Amino acid sequence: MGKSRLAAVFLLASVLLPAQILKEFEKKVTEFSLPNGLHFIVAERHEAPVVSFHTYVNAGSADDPSGATGIAHMFEHMAFKGTEAIGTTNWPEERKSLDAIEAAYDRLDAEQNKGPKADAAKVKVLNGQLQEAIDKAETYVVPNDYPRLIEENGGVGMNASTDYDATQYFYSLPSNRIELWFLLESQRFLHPVFREFYKERDVVQEENRMRVESSPQGLLLQDFTATAFEAHPYRNPPGGWPSDTANLRVRDAQAFYAKYYAPGNIVMAIVGDVNPMEARRLAERYFGPLPKRPLPPLLHTEEPPQHGPKTAVVDSPSQPLLVVGYKRPNELDKDDPVFDLISEILAGGRTGVVYKSLVEDKQVALELETADTFPDGKYPNLFLFFIAPALGHTVDENLKALEEALGTFEAQKVDAQTLARVKTKERAEVIRRLDNNPGLAGLLTANYAAYGDWRKLFTSLDDLDKVTADDVQRVARKYFATSSRTVAYTVAPSTPGGRARGGVAGERQ
Amino acid sequence: MRGRVWGLGVGGWFVVAVATCALWAQAPGGSRQQSASASLAIPSVKDLKFPPLKPVEIPAVETVTLPNGMKVFLLEDHELPVVNGSARIRTGNLFDPPDKVGLATITGMVMRTGGTRTKTGDQLDQELENIAASVESSIDESSGSVGFSALKENTDQVLAAFHDVLTEPEFRQNKIDLAKNELRSGISRRNDDAHGIAEREFTDAVYGKDTPYGWEMEYPTVNRITRDDMAAFYKRYFFPANVMLAVWGDFNAAGMKTKLANLFADWKVTEPAVPAFPPVRQKAAPGLYLAMKTDVAQTFVVMGQLGGELRDKDYPALEVMSDILGGGFRSRLFQRVRTRMGDAYDIDAGWGANYDHPGLFRITVSTKSASTVETLKAINEEVQKMRTSEVTDDELNTAKQTALNSLVFAFDTKSKTLGRVLNYEYFGYPKDFIQQYQKALARVTKADVLRVAKERLNPAAFTVVTVGNPMQFGQPLESLGPVKALDLTIPEAK
Repeated sequence: MGKSRLAAVFLLASVLLPAQILKEFEKKVTEFSLPNGLHFIVAERHEAPVVSFHTYVNAGSADDPSGATGIAHMFEHMAFKGTEAIGTTNWPEERKSLDAIEAAYDRLDAEQNKGPKADAAKVKVLNGQLQEAIDKAETYVVPNDYPRLIEENGGVGMNASTDYDATQYFYSLPSNRIELWFLLESQRFLHPVFREFYKERDVVQEENRMRVESSPQGLLLQDFTATAFEAHPYRNPPGGWPSDTANLRVRDAQAFYAKYYAPGNIVMAIVGDVNPMEARRLAERYFGPLPKRPLPPLLHTEEPPQHGPKTAVVDSPSQPLLVVGYKRPNELDKDDPVFDLISEILAGGRTGVVYKSLVEDKQVALELETADTFPDGKYPNLFLFFIAPALGHTVDENLKALEEALGTFEAQKVDAQTLARVKTKERAEVIRRLDNNPGLAGLLTANYAAYGDWRKLFTSLDDLDKVTADDVQRVARKYFATSSRTVAYTVAPSTPGGRARGGVAGERQ
Repeated sequence: MRGRVWGLGVGGWFVVAVATCALWAQAPGGSRQQSASASLAIPSVKDLKFPPLKPVEIPAVETVTLPNGMKVFLLEDHELPVVNGSARIRTGNLFDPPDKVGLATITGMVMRTGGTRTKTGDQLDQELENIAASVESSIDESSGSVGFSALKENTDQVLAAFHDVLTEPEFRQNKIDLAKNELRSGISRRNDDAHGIAEREFTDAVYGKDTPYGWEMEYPTVNRITRDDMAAFYKRYFFPANVMLAVWGDFNAAGMKTKLANLFADWKVTEPAVPAFPPVRQKAAPGLYLAMKTDVAQTFVVMGQLGGELRDKDYPALEVMSDILGGGFRSRLFQRVRTRMGDAYDIDAGWGANYDHPGLFRITVSTKSASTVETLKAINEEVQKMRTSEVTDDELNTAKQTALNSLVFAFDTKSKTLGRVLNYEYFGYPKDFIQQYQKALARVTKADVLRVAKERLNPAAFTVVTVGNPMQFGQPLESLGPVKALDLTIPEAK
């Protein structure tokens, strides 16, 4: 390793200090909160007459109540169903018909709640009545009118996502149509309507069949997560358990909304060709009417300590997949930046040491990725390895190779050049993200929600800079422990009991 | 750290599967009328008045041909201290020999991983990552690419590596072996994803499995590829007159021009002009196919026929037609199969148009096994309707507004502008193609939409590929017509 290359690395570090990047970026940002607690971050980029919007609700599937998993995701779908003014031919009548659906459903539930004593014939009649009520309500609907308005006005990238920690809504518009976003976004959260709820419930079940039930990887990660977490709601899939989802009611969605969609629990970012003064005026006008509400209670369930290694095995005729996770603290922990760097050292680019060992040198893996935070970061979670074994190589071989590579990694301190490299890469990554409106909008809200300040997007680089080779070794040794490990893998169902199933010796099944 | 992106595709559950990408747009807007009374009542959407959109500044791309014949396109962008480049080479896996399918792909991989005359791939990896830079190469269906990216202060270093990868790749055997292992592993996994199977079998059937557009890499074709094959493939296509290089970012154009001229001054190899890509077989491939897969809860369907080219005079009308049929929330298929029937999460249709050969018109859906037949019936009815009656004024207007109003997003970054200039040049399109398209789109009528649906959609000859578990269909697929079984067996290496 030539000296000149090292010098170049250190020169770079001095040229692009995070503080300088932040100082430049700060000039473009305006921030304000409304009296109801709703927070706005406005970042100006006038390169083109376009603007991106991002609404980040600091509640996700981890907040789903027991028995109603999937409700955060279900509400997200309902947020595209319109408002009292959009998507209906006659709101007063439609509202009555929606109430009639709930009344019919209550009657059906009352009978079904008798359990084995329920009268099957009566259930059938009540089910018919429920279907009739649903059909009647549909006659007032202008389907998909709300998203149509966005699309027709040139909106692009319109979508929403539900994760464990958060629910996010986003799209971009030509910048002369900013007011349209204020109107549409405020109305869907000011007056949520629950039209077409039960048809959409069918749609989200199809989504589950597609993402999980028809996907070996989806099934594997679902079983892996449910195995790793016993008490904490990270164990529940973000789409909910199918039998919960199939029975969700409008009142579940209303209750979730009332509890978690408090203005103080939401942050919105507007990035692009926007005048911050005008944004503030419009925010006050459109979002001011949202009533102030108390913040939702903190989630108290903590995952108890893990008392030994765990394993999940998923039958699948597909080629094998392997997931390995180690318990780690949440993203507010002082070691969070260390995990970040470890992830990059182990599997970043083409130089990651574990990647190189398994994929390039031993060639036992086709693919190896890490996630420093899985499934999400607000609560203690997992450091994850995802491995697709190469053709002709087994899960066992890969697990063994991974253990060896981690052993080597923990045995010696990371060299100065590698540590400098991953820090430089992290810094460059932040810079490269700054010219993308929708990406920036998402990052600003996520950092604000997670850390209380969007500046963490930049100051996290200072935290990374402080990480030493000692830190890397200490954290790796402390957390990559077999006793807090969860392994999950797929295996062909025809494989006779012995080898593949018993393959991970000494672990509980 | 928040916001790390990783590739497993887990986590987020979305409201729609694919972000609907409206084409392009420009909107005449009324002038803003400030309501003086500033009534706090929330207006209805139709009362909103939008100011005219600010004019889009389309930056000028500087073009120069170096003495060795290499065409260079430069665009300054000083927002971030970053320099990026992408060389496009006229080649593609359409030129693969039939017994060595995969040759172009593996050549594209090992150009970078196999290192250069003076440096191994591993040395390049280290040097580039030390400065958070990248050089990557690949060859896809109808072009090759070598790209780079670096922070501004590392411009010279990344350019040197880029130059070496482009002009003197070494194709070291250990990385060839690694790439072949990766390709073989990829082949072994190709039947693991039901949607992927449907896409592949549909494409292969419509283009023809015995044509370069429809054949697949197999173990034997990959095994036969040698280092000599790769070196020869590289030599045939990688010469200066066959390269278009786009560079954008934080630099001075005049300075960059000089830099590039010096850098590539001694690259002077010549080869005969590269021939045209093979034509697409213009033949319908009607059939209802079933690939049995029992470990799925849904049936994955891809159905359709050959599409067209972007230069078709009817392309704008075809876009409007397919958009009304299956593009986005407001489309007929979405409304019916998803919103009304609740039978799908993912459903869409798109008129496939490519620059230089017909793309694929395809309808994609996945639905629970038991609703397979009713979903296919509903889709067929909607396709028939497109061909038998005019769309409504409302539908036409929405489709056109959607496309026209979003046109600004085709110009919102400098790299998009540069990419477009490059595409038009590479495929021989007029420089103002997008503006022409915009005008033609605005003129599309209901009669046009009906005419192109009648002329171009041929549902009787659709290729319909289903992947799923027929034991769970309830209604047999045969109720829709004769079903041909697809054999997914992967041929063994010989």
